[in-house]
Amino acid sequence: MATIDLVDVRKTYPGGAEVIHGLDLAIADGELLVLVGPSGCGKSTLLRMIAGLETVTGGTIAIGERPVNKVEPADRDIAMVFQNYALYPHMSVRGNLEYGLKNRNTPRDVIDARVAEAAEMLEITPFLDRKPRQLSGGQRQRVAMGRALVRQPKAFLFDEPLSNLDAKLRGQMRIEIKRLQRALKTTSVYVTHDQMEAMTLADRLVVMNSGRIEQVGTPIELYERPATVFVAGFIGSPPMNFIELGAFPSDVQSSLSRQATGADLVGVRPETIVFESPDSDAIRLECQIELIEPVGAESHVHVRWNEQRLVVECRGHPGFSEGQTQAFYLNPSALHFFDQASGQASRAAS
Amino acid sequence: MVENRPWLNVLTHCVLVLGVIIVALPVYLAFIASTHGPTEFLQGIVPLLPGPHLLENYGEVLTQGMTTSGAPPLLNMLANSTLMALIIVVGKISISIISAYAIVYFRFPLRTLAFWVIFITLMLPVEVRIIPTFKVVADLGMLNSYAGLTIPLIASATATFLFRQFFLTVPDELMEAARVDGAGPLKFFRDILLPLSRTNIAALSVILFIYGWIQYLWPLLVTTDPKYYTIVMGIKRMATVADSDPKWNLVMAAVVLAMIPPVFVVIAMQRLFVKGLVETEK
Repeated sequence: MATIDLVDVRKTYPGGAEVIHGLDLAIADGELLVLVGPSGCGKSTLLRMIAGLETVTGGTIAIGERPVNKVEPADRDIAMVFQNYALYPHMSVRGNLEYGLKNRNTPRDVIDARVAEAAEMLEITPFLDRKPRQLSGGQRQRVAMGRALVRQPKAFLFDEPLSNLDAKLRGQMRIEIKRLQRALKTTSVYVTHDQMEAMTLADRLVVMNSGRIEQVGTPIELYERPATVFVAGFIGSPPMNFIELGAFPSDVQSSLSRQATGADLVGVRPETIVFESPDSDAIRLECQIELIEPVGAESHVHVRWNEQRLVVECRGHPGFSEGQTQAFYLNPSALHFFDQASGQASRAAS
Repeated sequence: MVENRPWLNVLTHCVLVLGVIIVALPVYLAFIASTHGPTEFLQGIVPLLPGPHLLENYGEVLTQGMTTSGAPPLLNMLANSTLMALIIVVGKISISIISAYAIVYFRFPLRTLAFWVIFITLMLPVEVRIIPTFKVVADLGMLNSYAGLTIPLIASATATFLFRQFFLTVPDELMEAARVDGAGPLKFFRDILLPLSRTNIAALSVILFIYGWIQYLWPLLVTTDPKYYTIVMGIKRMATVADSDPKWNLVMAAVVLAMIPPVFVVIAMQRLFVKGLVETEK
């Protein structure tokens, strides 16, 4: 149990390329924090710096208020779950679970008790004497988590642990990780590029982009009040539509600029666009339907409005046909406003 | 490709049988020759069926050697060869696995240079550098010793290179997981890398054992004391005799005996080879 504090953390590679640009982050005790961002944004590097697998070239990282910049990974009291599991192939599952404890000279009876407990929790007791190669992907993932669990560390670090699993298993394991984390209340940092995984798992979410933090907050905060264009486009599926303010008719423009002064980009969530009985101040867009993607409970309708491509999420199957013209309505109170030059959200003027 | 064409079957079998004959016939002839008396060969006709002198011939070479050509008893030479081959296997594998570990897993100054220097020695086998090597060994007083027989052959890059290539295929995450699990460099090497290299070590052992066993030129140079003769050079000594015909039956007995240990090693290690092929997943 511990907090993790990052103060002005930087990472510069020997070649001179800075990949983490002075980053501050306080992770609360028992929190499940998810780092999310596109590949190459530095999220894995940051996690590996917390783990001690990458050196810190600037700033301080403290785990449980103890600065750990120069501390070996083994002495940081953290456990890590790797993307490709990184199980020791020549050891049995039991051997894999025990290895970290043995290296710390843990007494035999404690090792046995912890292994039994972790195996019970993860339902891998029947496989304890098998080799990793005799297990399926999901089972290996459980063993990898078990290896972290038995150590009873101050913090868990997850590096895209589910990306090698198929979609169905990923959903199951996601729930399991969350349940486990809730039960153990161990501070956890979880890296993923999958925004769905990030949203569902996180207590708090950190969106990263090219070595910087774009926004930190609960998943709902980030979804409802994205601070930047990047966050707005990254969180939510299908992604937010962006329309330049200048594309609207002038009367709409002037009424919108009253809502947010200085904004020149309007963001619209696909699920807030409707096609039926709007109230009077809704903005009407005459669109051409290009493509319909039925997804079961809803349909993603790809439409073209003037030169602009938009995605509309409709409940059920609205019975449009591709190529037809259809009016859609935007609710002005559900719009997001941004300043294109700075990429920042413009707060409502009121 | 599953095809069922009878004439193709016949053809493939013919080719295979031919191949077996080419390899096996000389061995068979050597064995047959070693069971005959000394006079049979002088007529110029090679017998094809075993003769009655099997035990007699083998007994003689094993315990007495061939006094006329100054060859010591074969038992002694077999022991020397075995010892030499084993020292080469153990020495080469232990040195090269450690150096490969250093080159792959540690960042030290001139690391790449070190690797290339090791790599370049691949171009310089013992035969190429034989004169300077002999000079060095002689100056160090290692002539007529097991050290002189083996050390120059131990220093070579092939095994280092092979282990390096293998270590590069081991995922980095394993090393990182071990670091998080509290395993230092030596523990990681002992607990993880060494067990993973088991099949590689087995394969290399076979190759290196045979490499050590068939050494001819080097032992010929550094040993003048019959106590240190090895079997392969011994055969040559038996075949060249002054003022009389070589005793081919005894030479062939020595040849057959010299073949047995490598064959035995290959057969014994074959299980590990196959296991290594099955256990490819890391």
